Parts: sequence; C-alpha cells; structure tokens
Amino acid sequence: MKRVSVDIGGTFTDCFVVWDDRYIETKALTTRHNLALGFNEALDEACSTLGFTRSELLAEVDSVRYATTLGTNALLERKGPRIGLLTTVGFRSTVNIGRGRAYGEGLSFAKQRDMPNADRPEALVRPEMVREIRERIDYAGTVLMPLDERDLRVRLRELVDAGAEALVVCLANAVVNPEHELLIQKIYVEDYPEHMLGSVPMLLSHQVAGRKGEYIRTMSTVLDAFLHKAMYFGLSALELNLCASGYTKPMLVVHNSGGMAQLNSTDALQTVHSGPVSGIAAAEHLARQANLGNVVATDMGGTSYDIGLVVDGGVKFYDFMPVIERWLVTVPMVHLVTLGSGGGSIATYDGMYKTVKCGPESAGSDPGPACYDRGGLKATVTDADLLLGYLDPHNYANGHIKLNPRRSRQTVEDQLCDPLDIDAVEACKLIKRTVDADMANGVATELRAFGYDPSEFTLLSYGGNGSLHACGIAHNLGIDRILAPPFAAVFSACGAGTLDQMHIHEMSTFLVLFQPKTKTLFTDYEVFNDMVAALERRGHEDLLRQGFAERDIRYRLELDMRYGNQRVTTSVVTDLRRLRSLHDVARIIDQFHRSYGDRFGEGSQSPAAGVRINTIRVCSYVEVEAVRFADIGPGLRSAPSPAPIGLRRCHFVGLDAPIETPIYDERALVHGVALEGPAVVTTPHTTYLVEPGWRFEAAAQRAVWLVRPQAGRGNPHGQPEHNA
Amino acid sequence: MGNLNTTPELSAPEQQLLKDFLEEHRLFYAPDQEILRSHALEPRSAREEAAIERVNDLHRLNQVRGRIISAMEESFRMVEQMGSAPGAKWGDLVTAVFTASGDMSESSAGIVAFATVSPYPIKFIKKYWATEPTVGLRQGDGFIHNDSRYGNIHNTDQSMIMPFYHDGELVCWVSSTVHEGENGACEPGGMPASAISPWDEGLRMPPFRIVEDYKVRRDLLTFLQNSVRDPKLQYEDVYVKLFACLRITERLRAIIAEFGVDALIAFLRVNLEDTEAEVKRRIREMPDGIVRYTSWADSTLREPVLLKTNCELHIRGDRATWMLKGSAPQLNNRAINCLGSSLKAFILTGLVQQMWPDLPRNQAVFSAFGFEADERSLCNCDNDAPMPMSIQVAFRYLIKPGQIMNKMMYGVPLEARARQTVVVAAQYNQPATFIYGGVTQHLEITGNFCADINGAGQGARSNRDGEHALSGCFVFMSDTGEQELMEEELPMVRLVAQVLAKDRVGWGKYRGGLGYEQMVSSRGTPMWGFMTGQTGSEFCSAPGLFGGYSSPAYPLCRVKGINVFEWLKKPGNAERFPYSIVALMNDRPIEGGVYLTSPGTTFEPTTEGEIYMMCQGSGGGYGDVLERDPELVMQDLNQDLLSDETAERIFKVVYERGTRRVDRAATALARDAERAARKARGKPFKDFVAAWVKPEPPPELPYFGSWGDDAVIYAGSGSSRIVMRGDDIQPVWLPDPREVRIAELEARIAALTGSAERA
Repeated sequence: MKRVSVDIGGTFTDCFVVWDDRYIETKALTTRHNLALGFNEALDEACSTLGFTRSELLAEVDSVRYATTLGTNALLERKGPRIGLLTTVGFRSTVNIGRGRAYGEGLSFAKQRDMPNADRPEALVRPEMVREIRERIDYAGTVLMPLDERDLRVRLRELVDAGAEALVVCLANAVVNPEHELLIQKIYVEDYPEHMLGSVPMLLSHQVAGRKGEYIRTMSTVLDAFLHKAMYFGLSALELNLCASGYTKPMLVVHNSGGMAQLNSTDALQTVHSGPVSGIAAAEHLARQANLGNVVATDMGGTSYDIGLVVDGGVKFYDFMPVIERWLVTVPMVHLVTLGSGGGSIATYDGMYKTVKCGPESAGSDPGPACYDRGGLKATVTDADLLLGYLDPHNYANGHIKLNPRRSRQTVEDQLCDPLDIDAVEACKLIKRTVDADMANGVATELRAFGYDPSEFTLLSYGGNGSLHACGIAHNLGIDRILAPPFAAVFSACGAGTLDQMHIHEMSTFLVLFQPKTKTLFTDYEVFNDMVAALERRGHEDLLRQGFAERDIRYRLELDMRYGNQRVTTSVVTDLRRLRSLHDVARIIDQFHRSYGDRFGEGSQSPAAGVRINTIRVCSYVEVEAVRFADIGPGLRSAPSPAPIGLRRCHFVGLDAPIETPIYDERALVHGVALEGPAVVTTPHTTYLVEPGWRFEAAAQRAVWLVRPQAGRGNPHGQPEHNA
Repeated sequence: MGNLNTTPELSAPEQQLLKDFLEEHRLFYAPDQEILRSHALEPRSAREEAAIERVNDLHRLNQVRGRIISAMEESFRMVEQMGSAPGAKWGDLVTAVFTASGDMSESSAGIVAFATVSPYPIKFIKKYWATEPTVGLRQGDGFIHNDSRYGNIHNTDQSMIMPFYHDGELVCWVSSTVHEGENGACEPGGMPASAISPWDEGLRMPPFRIVEDYKVRRDLLTFLQNSVRDPKLQYEDVYVKLFACLRITERLRAIIAEFGVDALIAFLRVNLEDTEAEVKRRIREMPDGIVRYTSWADSTLREPVLLKTNCELHIRGDRATWMLKGSAPQLNNRAINCLGSSLKAFILTGLVQQMWPDLPRNQAVFSAFGFEADERSLCNCDNDAPMPMSIQVAFRYLIKPGQIMNKMMYGVPLEARARQTVVVAAQYNQPATFIYGGVTQHLEITGNFCADINGAGQGARSNRDGEHALSGCFVFMSDTGEQELMEEELPMVRLVAQVLAKDRVGWGKYRGGLGYEQMVSSRGTPMWGFMTGQTGSEFCSAPGLFGGYSSPAYPLCRVKGINVFEWLKKPGNAERFPYSIVALMNDRPIEGGVYLTSPGTTFEPTTEGEIYMMCQGSGGGYGDVLERDPELVMQDLNQDLLSDETAERIFKVVYERGTRRVDRAATALARDAERAARKARGKPFKDFVAAWVKPEPPPELPYFGSWGDDAVIYAGSGSSRIVMRGDDIQPVWLPDPREVRIAELEARIAALTGSAERA
C-alpha cells in the first residue's frame, strides 16, 4: 500500500505516509493563508525520508486523504457568507430563539448555569435575512396550505436585494414531504439562472438532514451554507495543489461520520471535527487489529481533552444531534466529547471548599501557562507539572518553548499557597490530583451513560499532554492498561488512512413495531422496505458517482428505536435489510431490548408501552485496504534499558518525599525496553510520566504501554486507600 | 367536649399517657407540620461527627464531590433520555442525594426546586414509616410520592425516593423527580386550574413503598395507572425513576469502595455546612436594611382579582429573613394556593438562577435564611386549600430575590463574593404555555403541557439587552422543543410556532429580551381541549429595574366557532391570514368567528381549526429609555422587534423612516424636551403621597392582601369585602364565577323583561 493521509489542525499539519512497509510521520506548521504550503512542507519532509520528489510520490499513491479543521476555524472566526433563510410562515424566529437554550450549547456547565450572563452566539443568519413563505405541510406530509408562488418570488427578491450570498430553505415537515422545498428550488433556478446568480447556492434542508426537528435541521443547513464557500475554496485549492504536483486521482475528504468521500460528494458540515474523529477511527482500527477490547480514546492537548468510545463488537457511537461549536445540529457524527481541560487549564483557589479548582477557564496557548513567560499570570496545570519535576524546562515541545519555573512558582505561591497554607509543591500535587480526578470523572460519566464500566477499558492516550496525566487519570478510573498508540504524534492523520468510503443517509419515520393499545405487531413490511430501499439507492448513487463498482458496495442498516414516547432512541444495527415476517419484527424488538438493557440496566425496558422506530439509517460503504499496524502487544520482545540521561527530583501525589527520578530520552522507545516507575521519558512530541507502581513497556512502532500490576492498584500513588 | 390535645390540666404522666394512646390508635398519618415548617439543616448526627473526624482532608472530600456530581449528571441524563413525560424530555426533572437525616446535599441539573422539597417526604418516611410495623424501612425499598402536603411543588410532579444502605447502615437517600403531567385530576395535564378543593387534584400520594427488593409492585402500579388518564406514562416513568435511583446507588457503592463510607457521610454533611457558611458570608457583605418588592397577580385563573404577593428581605449582619407578611389570604376554592414549604424552594431557585449560580444546588442555599409568612395566606396556605396551580403564586417568587438583592447590591464592592454575576432585571415569570388533553391522532389518551413554558424573555442587564426567549426562569438550559416532533405526537398544528412578539417588551436603556407568540389549532382528533395557567393579562408580571419598563400584559386570545384549515383552503384567504395575534384580533378576517380575549381559561373543549393564542412574555428593562443608544433602537427596528411608533414615542429617537438614519441632534433635543416634560409632570413626594395614597382599596376593586399596613388583610370587594388581622387570617371562599355570571344574566333578563313589560 502507498497512501498519504493528512490532518490539518489549528497549529500543525500532520502527515502520515504509508509506503509499502514503511511508515513516515512528519509535521509542519499549518499555513492558514494557504493550507497547501504547510501540506507541501510536511509531505516534502516525508519525501526526503523516502528519497523521492513530491510528484514521484504522488504519482504512486492510491489516495490522498484529508481531515481538516478548516470548517471549525471558519466557524470560530465567524467567516462565512451572508445567508438568507426561507422558512414556513409562523416559523421566522426559530433560529433566533434556538429552543431557548442556544445560549449555553457548547459551553461549560458553570457558564450554562450563569443565566444572567447568557449570550447567544453571534447569529449566522441575521434576523433581517429571514423570510417566511406561505405554505404548510403537516406531520404526515399532507399539504395544509399550498405554496404561494407569488409570495415566494417576492421574498426571494427581497433576500437577493438584501445581499444574500447563500440561500437556505427549511420548511416545516419537509423531511416527510419535500414537495415545497423542491418547488422553491425549481422556481429559484428558473428565475435566477446561473448566469445571474451562479455563485449564490441554495441549500434545501431535507437534503442536508433527514430528521424531524425544524430548529436542528435549519441550523444544520445554515452551517452547511455558512461553511460552503470556505470549504469549497480551501479544499479545491488543496486539490489543485495536488494536481499541480502530479496527483491525478480525486482527493478524499474525511467525514465526521467516520467515513470519507470525494470532495464533490462532501457537504461542508460533514468535515467539521473530522480531525478528532479520525483519531477515534484510528483507535477503532488499532483496537480491532490488536484485540484491545474496549478502548476509550483520549486526546489531551493544551486547552481541551477529547474523548471517544470504541467498544468490542463494532458497536458504533454516534451523536445524532451534536453541538458543533455553539450550535445544535443534526448530522450523524461519531460520538466525541470535549471536556474543558488540558495543560492550559487554570488552577484557582476555591474559597468555599478551601481547595483547588481546575478550569474551566484556560490560559490557552496565548498567553499560555505562566511558565511560558509570555505574560500569563495564572497558575495552570502545566505550571504544576513543571514544578513537580515532570517537564524539562529546556526541552519542552521539542525545545521550541523554554519554560520558566520561577514564574510558575511565583504564581502558584501567590494564588494558591497563601490561602491553602501549604507550600508550592503540595499545591502542585493538589492541582495534579484535581485535574486527573476531573478528567476521570468526565470519562467515567460518558462511559457509564452508555452502560459501560470504565475499569473494563484500555485507556488510549495521545495528544501532547496525554501521557503526562494518563497514569493519574487511569488510576481514578480503575483502569490498569494505558496505551500510547503507534504514531501517536500524528494519530489523527494515521486514522484517515484507515477509513472506508462511506455515505450515511437517514429518514425520520413513525413506525410502530408494537402498538400496545391494539396489541398488534407491525406488518406493513412494504412501507419499511421501501424506505430502506430509497436510502440504499441514495448511497448507491453516491458511490457509483465516485467510480466504485456495484459489486463492492455494502450496506449497513441501523434503526433508532424507542419505547413509548421516550426521548432517547437506541441505535440497533441489524443484519436484516428487509422485513418479511413477524419473526423479523420480533428479532429487531429483541435486539433493541437487549441493547437498551445493557445501557440503562436490565429490567428498565418498557416494551409494554409500545416500540417504535423513529429513524431509519443506511450506511453505504466500500471497504478499502486499511493501514496495518504491527503487533503492538506488550512483552513480545525484550531490549536492554537505555541509561537515563539524568536524574530529576520529582514529586508524586500521595508521597511525602520527592524521588530522584531517572529521566530517559526517546531511546527508551526502542521496542522491548521496559522501565519501572517512577520514570520520565521525554521525546520531541510528548513526555511520558511513569508514576510509582506503573511499568513502562515500549512496543512495536513506538507504541508504549503503561501497565499496573493488580497488586499495585490499591496504592498507585502511595496514598492510603482510605483515611479511616 | 374539650380538645384532648390541648387539655391544659393534665399532669405530665397523664399527658404521656394521652400521647401514647394517640400514637397507638392513630387514625391517619397526616402531613407533619413540624417537618414541613422547618427548612433548617438537621443538627450534625453523632455518626456524621465521627465520619468528619475520621475524614478531615478537605481535598479528599473534594474528590468525593467530583464523583457525586458525575453520578448526578449520569442519572439526570438517564431520566432525560428514558423519560416518557414531555417534562422529562425538556429538562423538567432532577435527581438528588440526601444525608441520612434527609437534608438535600447535592442535586443534578434540572429543577432544583423539586430536590429542595424532597427532604420533607424523606423525613416523613424516617419518622413514621421506618417505625411503623406494617411498613418499615429496608434496603431495596422505593417510595413514590407526589402530594404537596407531604412536601412537593405540586401534585403533577412525582418522585421516587430510595434509602441507601451500606453494611446494614442507612448512609443516605437518593431521589429522582419528574414533572409527569397527567395525574387523574379534574382536568387533564395534572395542573387543574378549575380545582376548587383538594379532591379535584387527582393522585394524592403520600410517600408509600411501591418498590420492594428493587422491584416495582404491580398491584400498586396498577392502582396508580387506573387513577390517571395516561396509564402508559405512569407505567414507563415509574421504572425510569427507579432505574435512575439505582444508577445513583451503584455510584455510591463505588465511592464507598474507593474512599470509604465515612468519606461519603462526611462529604454529604460538610457540603451543606460549607454552603451555608458561604451564604452567610455573602449576606454579611450586603448592607443591613430592608428592601421590599411587591407584586400582584391579576387573576385566580377563574376570575379577575388583584392578589398581593409581598416580599421583603431583612438583613442584619449575617442574618437575613424573607418576610412575606401582608400577602393575599388563601382562597379555599381556587387552585393557586401555595404551601410555605413549596414557596421556599422557589426563592432558593431564584437565588441560584439570578444571584449565585456558582453555589452548589443544595438545601443549604436557603437554610441560611429565615422565613416568615402569615398563616393561611396565599403563599403559606394550610392543607385544606387546593394547590395544583401553586406555581401561579410560586413563580412570582422566582424573580423576587433578583429584584430585591440587586438593589441591595447597589453599594456592594465589585470584588465582593456576593457579586457572582451581572445585575439583571426580572425575567418573565409566568408559565405561559398551553395545557392540553384529549385523544391523539394515534388514538392515545393524553394530557400534559407544551414546552413553550421554557422560553421566557430575559430581563435587561446593567450592561446589555436581555436575551430573547431564554430557558425558563426556574431552570437553566431547558428546552422549548421542536414543533415538528410535537405535531408528530399530538393533534395540534402551530399556525405560529414561536415568533418574537414585536413591541411587547420591557423597554429601558437596555431592553428586556422578547417573548414569543404561539398560535395553535387542533386537527385530526376526536376530542381535544386546552387550558392555561398564567396570569398577567392586565397587571404586568416582570418589572424593570432602575427605571426600566415592566413587561407588558398578555391576555389569552381565541377565535372560536371556525375551522381555520377549511377557511384557508378558500381562494385568497391564505393571503389574508395575518399570523399575528395583534393583527388577527384587531382585523378579524375570519368571518363568523367569535373573537375572545380573557385572562386565561380553565379546560375548554375545542373543535378542529379553532385558534388559541398566547404570548410568552418579555423581561423587564434596565435604566431610562432616554439613555438608550439610538443606534440600538434602529437595530431593533431593522430586526422587526419594535415599531416606528415605539421608537419615536417611547425612545424619542428622531430619524428618517425610509433610511433609518438617526438625526442625533434632533434626538438630543427631543429627549431633552421629554426630560423637561417629566419634570413638569413631577411633584414633590409629599404631594404625590397626598394625592395618590388612599386609606384602603377602592371598594369596586376585588382586592386581596394588605394595603399599606401589612398587619391588616383585605379580601374581596364592595359589601362582601372582609378585613382581617394578618396574624388571624380566615380562609376565603369565592363565589363560582359561572353562578355569578348566571345571576348577572338573570338580572339582565329580568331587567329587560321588566322593560318589555313596562313598554
């Protein structure tokens, strides 16, 4: 296999090149003004390792795959077109009101609680740019009021005159009957042919999202329209750059659904968060190959801590109504949770409980932690890590950032030591203990919300700060196995190399599989089968358009089901593609029953209240060869431990006295090296903190295991289990 | 025959004998007033003392706090997702954990008031059922409860309460509460506005054991299902609440395994003590003194009246007391009475919503305060009064902490701990939503309320406008829902989904956030009806702050005797339909319709296509309208939030209407002229008082509450008006409005007949 995978992040562009049995990982700074420059630099570095020119390499690879934060950045900067929205009469304030809770979406719990300070995010559609159309369709698709074409033409003209650069159409119940949305499109195309307004795209809500919910569907379409231009030009520029360098195949873009597609088959909204989602895809692929069982993938950077779930048996976790930046939307996105903590999290004195609080405020990267010496005056987690001896002040971030411990000490003493009446080291231990516990609580809440026990998981840890806090977090979760994966520095880029080409299409429905009032089971198989067939047809067309052979196309049918009138729907993946008998219906109900019981507790099921299908979803995909990881199991090889490059006095939570801790460099990553904690391993991209009671084992492809013997569980930090 | 309980001449041994006799031969385990009157924390128990002594590491307790909060979040999400009641889907729920003594130590997101009233039934269980041989208290028990008289907001909310044991020791309690809606009351939806006695309220469950050995008893569940209109809802949510409690207990076991049982016991206690100490610290930062904020409800939900809801905060040092004396008397045949125990939970909610959102959501936020209210008053009624619509009174108290304390905070230094957020005027505080009931298009019987309750306009802030239609004033991050999903389940069509109500807002230097109009008709149902539960159709509900305007008044509007869907099908009619309450009611385009305006309605059957309209209200304004930046006025005009008339008449902005270009000089002149006119209209305070203050309410005014002197309470109008002492309020009975109306009509007929005969 020869393949290039790229993850263009906010700071770095990560590149992962597979060249037969060689795997090259490179990084370059992201060049926001022209993403191709950063990409070329990263790719050129890989080329020089392989001894090829860029065009020689690109001529040989089977694909170039992109995960990008381009969309996320455009949203953060609010850079997008002036959008005009056409909606059903009586619905013009839907976006403005945002279900009453739009002020808090994407914010921390503390900020959500502070209602007096509530502010909705800046509107992507200004209220002046919303127009109502006289039309109405009911919940079942019946036309209550035909679309008033004359009225429509007036409203369209108003929006065009007001300078709309993109048009969004979202009509009530359009997912059940799209007739009116399609009519609007037809009239628009007739009245404003391409030579007049060719650059003003019109997006129809039912084509962007198949679910009911006028607010979430409108916002999905609005975000799509908002990002359309930036993504189109940004990604087209990248594709042109590839063409200029001799690449002749279509570029593939990673989707937040965990699949990918060609640029011409990609909605802008599908690309948001594709980088972190690629990381989770890599985790899934690695877990499958290495038989890791259940894995929680964690990415701890400077300002955030992202987590994702990968469980044995291939269960997929989607968010069907994710929050993207500050907006609730509906798009099937791989479940990804961002907890507001990272190395930059600010530690403050909690006057009420007389202890330390970490976050949710963050010093970010500018000014950053106090030790960066860039004007940051608040103590952060990184300052604590430095004063505890875990970080090398002269060799942080591969030497790019020099750390000033005096500044850290000063801020910790000023802000924490006086009120806590403890010394700086104790305060720093408290910071570490607190942030590790906070992260663990966040992870535990997520896992348990899906019915899982954290102690049955392997903690997969990547990102700049992940390996520094992994032992502490794992201890709080009752986890004994931590894996820093192969290619951890470019793990998301690596994940892009593992993806299949996939399209997801879904449809809201109201199918009652068991009706308690009449005590009947569903028998209208044709209705169900027709819907599935329609969704398969759409995926089929998507993939044929991209040149795949019909015989290679696979389908996965997923049903979102619920009891009675509940809010929650549980996704059931079924190998049935059509319903043909009551046995099929009973089989689906039974599968739902088991999934629900696993999640909420056996006995919590309420089939007597009725069983419904709310959404039918078809994933159409083509399996392609994925990156293969080496066998990364621990204990496969033995290698002599390298000599430490020095000793450093490190302080650990639960231990009163400091320990002269051996410090290793990246020679410790040689496959087979094993080190007993405490130890610190510093590499150009990260620092591994091996806490007392833990053991470091380097595996193939520079993967690292941090494991804890069962005997060490009770006392990983040397602290008493109970104070009693 | 004398009252045995109060016979004074009995000796001590005789009194003991009498007490024993009564306990042995108890007729009825009635609500315990001793429990219900106290909102103070229970004293530290010896067990808690020992646990705190053993686990004195505050940082370790902080780790327990993290675990507990995680458990709360997890259980909240479970109920929100699994719950069948509409309220559960929009965040109208809570989960909580309590000390072994029953004090609420930590709660999840959601309705903190639900958790704040749950200690009462827990303490009842401890006091009575634990020692009652036929009941007892065991591991695996689950108690269901809904009756306000044993401690609840109103009977539409149902709780599951479970004791948590470790090694045979009762360590703490957990609960899960949901606003269920339908409860078999005299009107569907669980909040019957027409209730005239407690017996109209539907299910009245004192806490009783419905779960034994972690299993629901189907005989008791069947009894409950048989008592309500929606047996499916009752069935599903009993299990949902039970499994949420079980999930919390799983986490508590994990906490004990990790930190030890003493750490859990110590945390639950210390969390309360720390909170109470912090609240006292903040009270100390505020100046000594008294601030009053009085408001009036303008209806009983059945007839127009003025009902005073008084509130003062008295502060001296770290002692602060909420004083409600002088409020209206309880109305023994109206649904809006509120128990003092319930009302305290709303003041607590106001504190954490508007003043101190950083505090833990536990009982100690309020235990630091004193509370005084007249007995048998509307805000401190007795158990004989119906109270299914207690939120009508209680919601008024949600905004009182903000209105009062933001004034007290005026001179408090910016860095004070008491200042945790921005100064904000009142959010709209009425439950302006449709309550419905009937048979759905899927032939299911239902009764509940719409999510529109969750989108009230926010008050203006000291530095910016209020947000439109924000999560309700009783909870953060609640959800106004999706109309498409509502229409899928219920036979209702939104002609106006939720559209911001132009011009109807509290103006000021900064304006409040706007509320929204709702216009709904039923369709495709064999039987359907609506009712409402809000007041404020004539007397504004959300006041402004420091010179800002109040929210306007919002009546219920209806067009009866029509089918709008049929009417819209006729050529040309769709263009004539205005999609605006104001225009529809003023222009009356649908021929033959009966256009009605009223404060609200009790449950009323409707036929397909009749139109029901109401407006979710706005927040109050902040500061003087003449100080508002004219460009902000233009921005509101551009966004169709106000009319030219308002811009010119209220804000005195001079601009060209076509281009909306402001003439700054002319605006300054217009505003100066208005200031001069104000001065001219003004008069010395003494003169104002002399002209304005009357010795008692005008006789024709149906007035309830004090008038000047809080110790004297008026009730009613004209010759039927009663005057009482505040410390001896007698319950008031109002005539049936239908009887009154019939009498009026009969009098009219008699008059007309007499006229005819004379003619």
